[in-house]
Amino acid sequence: MTVQDWLTIGIVAGLAAALIVLTVAERRWPTTLRRGAAFEALDSAIERAVEAGERVHLSLGTGSLIGSDCAPALAGATALAKIAEATTLSDRPVVASAGDGALAVLAQDALRGAYARTGAKEHYRATTGRMLGPTPFSYAAALPVILSSEKVSVHLLTGSFGAEGALAADMGERQKAFVLAGSDEIQTQALFFTTAEHALIGEEVFVTGAYLQGSGMQRASLRLQDGVRLALVAAILLGTLLRTLGVL
Amino acid sequence: MRGGLHYLWTALAILFGTLVLLGYVFEIPALQSIRNLLMQWSVILSAAALLLGLVNMLSVHWNKVGAQEKGWPYSALLLLALLGTFIVGLIFGPDSAILSALFNDVQQPVEASLVALLAVTLTVAAFRLVARRRNASSIVFAVSALVVLLGTGPWLVGGDGSWFQTMGALRAWWSQVWAAGAARGLLLGVALGATVTGLRVLLGSDRPYGD
Repeated sequence: MTVQDWLTIGIVAGLAAALIVLTVAERRWPTTLRRGAAFEALDSAIERAVEAGERVHLSLGTGSLIGSDCAPALAGATALAKIAEATTLSDRPVVASAGDGALAVLAQDALRGAYARTGAKEHYRATTGRMLGPTPFSYAAALPVILSSEKVSVHLLTGSFGAEGALAADMGERQKAFVLAGSDEIQTQALFFTTAEHALIGEEVFVTGAYLQGSGMQRASLRLQDGVRLALVAAILLGTLLRTLGVL
Repeated sequence: MRGGLHYLWTALAILFGTLVLLGYVFEIPALQSIRNLLMQWSVILSAAALLLGLVNMLSVHWNKVGAQEKGWPYSALLLLALLGTFIVGLIFGPDSAILSALFNDVQQPVEASLVALLAVTLTVAAFRLVARRRNASSIVFAVSALVVLLGTGPWLVGGDGSWFQTMGALRAWWSQVWAAGAARGLLLGVALGATVTGLRVLLGSDRPYGD
């Protein structure tokens, strides 16, 4: 094994240990989350949609479940379960879509679990978790139908998207829906910044669940991410200083 | 019973996730064989899930046609196209000339037209951004886009003049120093977020696979 392998193991094990410690600490000293304008607006938008009998749509993206781009979809599925718990008993419960069969099954599973937890298992319909199209642009082409026919007023994009993400977000804007969009691709984040009312930048796509009454570990993971980011910034600044001084 | 199954699914997810992760970092043949086997299973399951997704799509549009909902003719067209392509594929095989023609003459042009639509969408969205969100970040974003456009694209007049050269140099400095630095910062954040999300799933805290 190379030094790099040991470093990888050390980083993963260290992060896991830190996450567990911070989760335990979270019970005693709960984290106060930063005020995020997008997430505060999301809470209000979901409440308005439930009261007005309109629907929330959440997209898990056009990535795949078995690829390296699955992480934002996994975070999206957690957020989906939270939103489903809040909307199961409304006239129009949340509907989820994906551009991959496995992600559609994941969405159905998350929805089924949420319905069971809220005691509304009989209201669950498998068609609330859908695959719209197997290719990125066929997915984007099918989106306007679901947005108009399901009377969607909250359009959430939390998954891996390419350029088609810009069309997906813009379709929500044309529907005059509340649009919150995030992706793990930074080029797509730039597109979302232009096309979506609320764009999630950087790692924000992974924290939606924590802002929707997330679990202790979800909130602890925010603290961990902030801490590691500060350590990285300090290391970069130190490295720059040492290189400038000719030490490195 | 549901509670018992819930623990079983969580335990299986943690076990298989850990085995795959360890298979990536430890060069132990047995561990790597298990990892490869699990990855092959996931590919097969993913292909089966694609079929399930298609059945799901079929049922959504079938219900829509049955209930004569708004836009049902489009759903009917989708069902005909889906079943027609599926039957042609079953009879002639996925590499047949008919399926290639369907892909090259229908699917590809339609998707290419959507890519073209993207350019228009982005231009309109850029104007909307400046009109609706007049804050510092929107202005920086719009100015950056303008600098990159002017420094990259050919100019109708003065394309070989000193102004074009200056804009080209400004674009290079802007994108290679400022934009690249910011992009690396964002990439670090994304990598950190993805790792922590994976760890939450691996530790059984996030269970996106339901109960």
